[in-house]
Amino acid sequence: MTKNIDYKALSAELDDVLEKLQSGDLDVDEAVKAYERSMEISKQLETYLQEAENKVIKVKASWEAKGKQ
Amino acid sequence: MGSSELVLSVTDFVAVFNQTLEYAYPAVTVVGELANFRISKNRWVYFDLKDENASVKFFGTVYQLPGPLEDGLMVQVSGVPRLHPLYGFSITVQNIQPVGEGSLKRAAALLQTKLEAEGLFDDSRKRPVPYPPKRLGLITSGESAAYHDFVKIMQERWGGVDIQLADVQVQGEVAPGQVIAALNYFNMHEEPVDAIVITRGGGSAEDLAAFSTEQVTRAVAASRIPTIVAIGHEVDLSLAELAADQRASTPSNAAQLLVPDKQHVVKQLHATRTSLGTALQRSVSKGQTSVRMAAQSLSEAVKHYLATLQRDLALRQQILAALNPAMALNRGYAIVLQNGKSVRSVKQLKTGDTIDITLHDGTVRAEIT
Repeated sequence: MTKNIDYKALSAELDDVLEKLQSGDLDVDEAVKAYERSMEISKQLETYLQEAENKVIKVKASWEAKGKQ
Repeated sequence: MGSSELVLSVTDFVAVFNQTLEYAYPAVTVVGELANFRISKNRWVYFDLKDENASVKFFGTVYQLPGPLEDGLMVQVSGVPRLHPLYGFSITVQNIQPVGEGSLKRAAALLQTKLEAEGLFDDSRKRPVPYPPKRLGLITSGESAAYHDFVKIMQERWGGVDIQLADVQVQGEVAPGQVIAALNYFNMHEEPVDAIVITRGGGSAEDLAAFSTEQVTRAVAASRIPTIVAIGHEVDLSLAELAADQRASTPSNAAQLLVPDKQHVVKQLHATRTSLGTALQRSVSKGQTSVRMAAQSLSEAVKHYLATLQRDLALRQQILAALNPAMALNRGYAIVLQNGKSVRSVKQLKTGDTIDITLHDGTVRAEIT
């Protein structure tokens, strides 16, 4: 399910990984791992964007003003 | 005494009259020009409504006012007519609203000046609206074009947003109360929304009046949850928009401000993937270079070591060669053994002993004489 992903958190993680990878400080092992992770995140984000639907729920409450004042 | 005429005490008359009035006119709505408007002790409101031929007294509290009012405004007042035991006839106000474009504008201007002075519209009060929000409170009419536009644009641009719709009336006498009740609902809900959107489409000044009332404007300003207010109209801003953390020109514009466009974000994601690939390649080739360099210096070290070993071996071979007994035999020396043991002195031998003499090309046996 794509419903429960935290878009903001994943998006921030992607930026973070990208920055690390671009800094060139990672050794190859770490770089490959970071790359795999970031690809995974980016695919998740894309799937989310393409599949997630907004959900409208009508609030069941009465909006009659509760007395004057 | 045959008079059928009813004679009442003054107190009884007031009571009977009020009863009759209440039966005949439980409530009345009157339109007229405001005159002699005054507020007493910050609480009681007195004024007259008049036209060319008549004038009627009204009495109420400041809580019923839509905002500051002044003489000359056209207003519509609902209330209960009543004869006061001491002060005479008046209508007790239940609701009062300016009517007509001119009066509405004037009343809004008076209110705007008052609230501005209180700092309700200050930029320093504006909070950022979470971008994109996960949960949204939407206050609008569920039947309206504004609602459908908003939801449609939200869907086109983004997904996964949980929109809680508070379906309220957005015009008419009940609108302010409903909008405020919905704002309170979202502010007190245990699962808070990230932002509240209040929206409706355009309309006449009267249609939009609810969003310029003092109560609604204050409720928007007081919301603990950030607000976006989008009231579609031509020129003038409603006061609720001025009090909101963010304002939008139309319901669709509110959706645009709330969430990014996913087409654009997907494009960015693709670009990010390309840069990730490039960055990885750089990392890998950097790794390869260092491996190559390590291998090279390793092989040089090995070569050097082997050369040392070879030199060492050659040296020892020379020494060994020098120590080889066969070399001595070549030069004419001989090895003398008696019963397999080397003979180092003539004193070891006596006449008749047998010895083995080894020369470079063989061994002979001899007897001592």
